[in-house]
Amino acid sequence: MTESSPLERAARLERGLVEHGSVRATEIDAAIARAEDPGGDQPSTALGARVVARAWADPDYRARLLADPVGTLGELVAQPVPIAVLADTPSVHHVIVCTLCSCYPTALLGNPPAWYKSFEYRSRVVREPRAVLAEFGTVVDPGVEIRVHDSTAEQRYLVLPQRPAGTDGWTEDQLATLVTRDAMIGTRYPRAGE
Amino acid sequence: MRDTLSVDGVHDMGGMHGFGPVPVTDDEAVFHAPWEGRVWAMAGVLLRRTTIDRFRYLIEQMPPVQYLTSSYYERWLWALERLAAEHGMLEGRGADPVTRPALVPPTPGRFAPGDQVRVANRVVPGHCRVPRYLRRQVGRVERVACVWPRPEESAATGRYGPLESVYTVVFSGRDLFGPSADHTVSADLGESDLEAP
Repeated sequence: MTESSPLERAARLERGLVEHGSVRATEIDAAIARAEDPGGDQPSTALGARVVARAWADPDYRARLLADPVGTLGELVAQPVPIAVLADTPSVHHVIVCTLCSCYPTALLGNPPAWYKSFEYRSRVVREPRAVLAEFGTVVDPGVEIRVHDSTAEQRYLVLPQRPAGTDGWTEDQLATLVTRDAMIGTRYPRAGE
Repeated sequence: MRDTLSVDGVHDMGGMHGFGPVPVTDDEAVFHAPWEGRVWAMAGVLLRRTTIDRFRYLIEQMPPVQYLTSSYYERWLWALERLAAEHGMLEGRGADPVTRPALVPPTPGRFAPGDQVRVANRVVPGHCRVPRYLRRQVGRVERVACVWPRPEESAATGRYGPLESVYTVVFSGRDLFGPSADHTVSADLGESDLEAP
């Protein structure tokens, strides 16, 4: 007997679960549609970018976000999770990983990229973060401490990068265009201002 | 299903040598094939009937060669097949809903920010959220991260048990990986995994 493909096994499992009432086919379709086309307040990179841009533009919001991240982000995300916001400074650069599986701030950012879940990233970034970041084209000044956060419990992390230079007077919407997914994981810097 | 040992499994790969460059991508689809989306969405539904720790523990029981040669959602699919089987979901039985614990503010526990702590060398069979590379290492408590049920127990029973304090502990990269490491590493560790140094 040949081993079934994942596609066949997934279809068989879904048929069985639907037939026996553990899953409704419509809830599977609806969840996929939301994940593939988030928009609005659904978890996505765009939602995270709004948070970062607002923290850059509004010092009061930034202070609140750092002092009470669960409460402040709870205004945005449907299911509150323990979350900490890691603010980069001129002397510390934060980067997040989950060496044991794939823990990621999905409630805010949506699903993690494939590289975040890769064996290469999981095994190496805790041991040699400078070399790993260089593979993203990110060179961190030798005088800057790199702090790698291994997400080993239910606490999730969001990196708040430093605001790029040349963005004085920019609106939150303009600032949000500079905030990439990888900048909120810590493997890249935000896009440059003007 | 009979649980096998998963502590010290291949999933615990932090610090391992031998993996190559990170497969960096700039832009990618949320799912690489339609079946991946269906597996992900089924997990979302089935995980309301067990703990996240039970799901992780099932994945960890995949034989190591298979783990390393399966894609991410193939590992999820493998675990979901076992989760459905252990609850008899394909034979008309169901499983009671499991509620995630409500978030409560972190409260002071046995350790305080600034304390030096040693990671216990507690190697017991079952699910374990202490990565091997931190075992026996001494670090500094930065803060109480959260309070949460012990994952070992939630993984074994499929139910969330009593809460314990979870601490963010910072370690020197040099202590963990040798003199060329100039970074720091933090991890979130439960109170019962920590002891006075």
